Amino acid sequence: MSLLSLVTGLGALGAAAAYFAAGPERFWANWLLWQLLLLSAGLGSLFLVALEHLTDARWSIPLRRTAERTAGLLAPASAAMLAGLFALPVLYPWAHPGAALMPHGAAKSAWLSAPFFSARVVLCSALWLLAWRLLAGGSLEQDKTKAPALSVLARRFAPFFMALFALSVTTAAFDWLSSLEPEWYSDILGVYFFAGIFLAGLASVTLLAVHLIGAGRLPGVRFDHVYNLGGFLFAFTVFWSYIAFAQYLLMWYAHLPEEVFWYQRRLEGPWRTAALALAVFHFLIPFFALIPRDAKGDLPRLRWVAILLLGAHFLDLYWLIFPVLGPDPLFSWPEVSFALFFIGAALLWIRRSLAQGADMPIGDPRLEEGLAFRL
Amino acid sequence: MLKRPAAVLGLFESPRALLSAIELLRARGRWSLEAYTPYPVPGAEAALGLKRSPLAAMVLIMGSLGALTAYLFQWWMNSVDYPIVVGGKPVDAWQAYVPVLFEVTVLFAAFTAGLGMLLLLNRLPDFRHPLLSSKSAAALTRDKFGLALEPAEGPFDAGAAEAALREVGAEAVEVLNQPAPPAPVKPRTLLLLAAGGALACLAAGLGTYWTLKLFPALPPMSHMLEHPKLVPQKPSAFFKDGRGMQAGVPGTMARGRLPYPCKTEACASRLANPLPRAAEVLRKGRKAFDTSCAVCHGALANGRPLLSEAYGAKPADLQSSRFLSMEDGRIYHTLMTGKSAMPSFASSLTDDERWSLAHYLRALQRAQHAEDEDLR
Repeated sequence: MSLLSLVTGLGALGAAAAYFAAGPERFWANWLLWQLLLLSAGLGSLFLVALEHLTDARWSIPLRRTAERTAGLLAPASAAMLAGLFALPVLYPWAHPGAALMPHGAAKSAWLSAPFFSARVVLCSALWLLAWRLLAGGSLEQDKTKAPALSVLARRFAPFFMALFALSVTTAAFDWLSSLEPEWYSDILGVYFFAGIFLAGLASVTLLAVHLIGAGRLPGVRFDHVYNLGGFLFAFTVFWSYIAFAQYLLMWYAHLPEEVFWYQRRLEGPWRTAALALAVFHFLIPFFALIPRDAKGDLPRLRWVAILLLGAHFLDLYWLIFPVLGPDPLFSWPEVSFALFFIGAALLWIRRSLAQGADMPIGDPRLEEGLAFRL
Repeated sequence: MLKRPAAVLGLFESPRALLSAIELLRARGRWSLEAYTPYPVPGAEAALGLKRSPLAAMVLIMGSLGALTAYLFQWWMNSVDYPIVVGGKPVDAWQAYVPVLFEVTVLFAAFTAGLGMLLLLNRLPDFRHPLLSSKSAAALTRDKFGLALEPAEGPFDAGAAEAALREVGAEAVEVLNQPAPPAPVKPRTLLLLAAGGALACLAAGLGTYWTLKLFPALPPMSHMLEHPKLVPQKPSAFFKDGRGMQAGVPGTMARGRLPYPCKTEACASRLANPLPRAAEVLRKGRKAFDTSCAVCHGALANGRPLLSEAYGAKPADLQSSRFLSMEDGRIYHTLMTGKSAMPSFASSLTDDERWSLAHYLRALQRAQHAEDEDLR
């Protein structure tokens, strides 16, 4: 038994103990956070893969298997989300008994019902897993068959996936995050969540790619390829900040009670510190760290920026979810146990996938072209 | 005039051929190399051994300067020069600054990048560049990759450069000559230019003048002036009876406008001032006095205002004995009804303001008729 499994096991024990010692509310809030973090890493990577097929990208072909592997986190994420349905009556006010009295209106009541919610979760997960099976599984199959038809299939499938992806991510954001406070309105939350997801996916891909390059498992991948990943990280750091501020600015200006209470809860008292930390760690540090040209292809820097961004995405989700538990941020052993369990499980899952197939899509007819890519 | 060769240009079919030629010729080290390509060729920078451009640093500095400018500009306007409350937000609200700050940062950075690259670093436009006289200048912007050899130091042996270019695989070689120095400008040309400029100015000026004369200016966006506000004595579509002015709702009264029972001064002299003689009340009275009374009665209430010369009326001297002994109620009454040239202040002041005014007038009178005990 490796150290990693040991740590994961310890985390699982701690998380289970948290259910009884810290109460189901805190347990399920943690669970929700980590299921969404896993989803972000997996779905963000899958989006990158689909985007590469859609645009027929050349630079990314040598790195595509890496993204396909981190996209595999969708499987544990989907399992976690199915389990997360048990959080409904605990965390979500509209699922409480007697929820008809909630002030969110009839239109929302039709959308927010436990069976419909579960159906949406299952449907979205099925869509993502199907896309993963088609794109990543097809690519693995291509390793053996070398059939160009599989590349064509992926390219034809990508645009449909994009459309459904947009719908499903918005749905997930509204369902899992927004409906924690069902009286709240934000049209842009879906985009906000997408920005976080894609950034987390990019950070995971970068992290794994840097690791594999360091281990000498991606021969031929050079500055030019990595530079594009760094550029993506930089661009979407800015995108996330832009969207996050756009949401805040409009609500701050309009000052409507059904919108602004959400920010009041997250910007007053100790939560203000979390919001400021979010600005620093999710924007300022990665932005300035990635500004110089050489930084975008510098492996050690990319590694710490990717880790930082994953941490910042954790903080983002924490700041989105935990204020519903109370005015004071909760962070002690239950949160640490959950982190150990989920990070450990994710790493175990990734390690497992590292043993499957080649490290590059060796069946892709355009791999040579991809390796020859120069900026 | 003798033609002096400035450079030798070789044309290549592909970027790859260009790169390998650069590599071979740089190794010889006799020339300084310059590549001319229709698009940025990856690797050419490294092959030519170009130094890192200072443009990035310039953009960073100017971008930061843009952010600072936008911030200070907005901060100064909003919280120093003209503080005004908008939408119930604080006057100095950083949130509202961010969009402009972002735009100005981008503006400064983009202009620095574009203009700095063209004007400052590449010194364009340069109409005397030897390349412009080349036969293949058009091809270089289309599908050919050019490499020019220029003398690194000492005299330039164009023949040797030509041979070297052919050796590394140039498909065509051309000697580019130093362009002739510009001919001196004739005084006649200068005169013509000056006359043309003056004519153009005149035409533009007269044209603008007559255009504005003949075609009256269109009103600027006037829809902000045309909001459906209520105007006294004017019809309004807002109320059912189509009038802009409405009688009060029966059985109600407006805030600060209690019904006034007195018709005579005798009745009014029996009214008691309902407000205490407190600092807050005096402050309010002072404000009302300075706004409504001081123009005519003077800031000291002695009937000698700054404007008395201008309009020739004789406002009452409120410091005279008649007013020293006048009851608060009668002062209130005068404010309600007006007196000779003085208009009524029934609608422009509130109840509280009128009573506060009476208190303040007492303070003014006492200030002009101070007694010994006031000095102790």
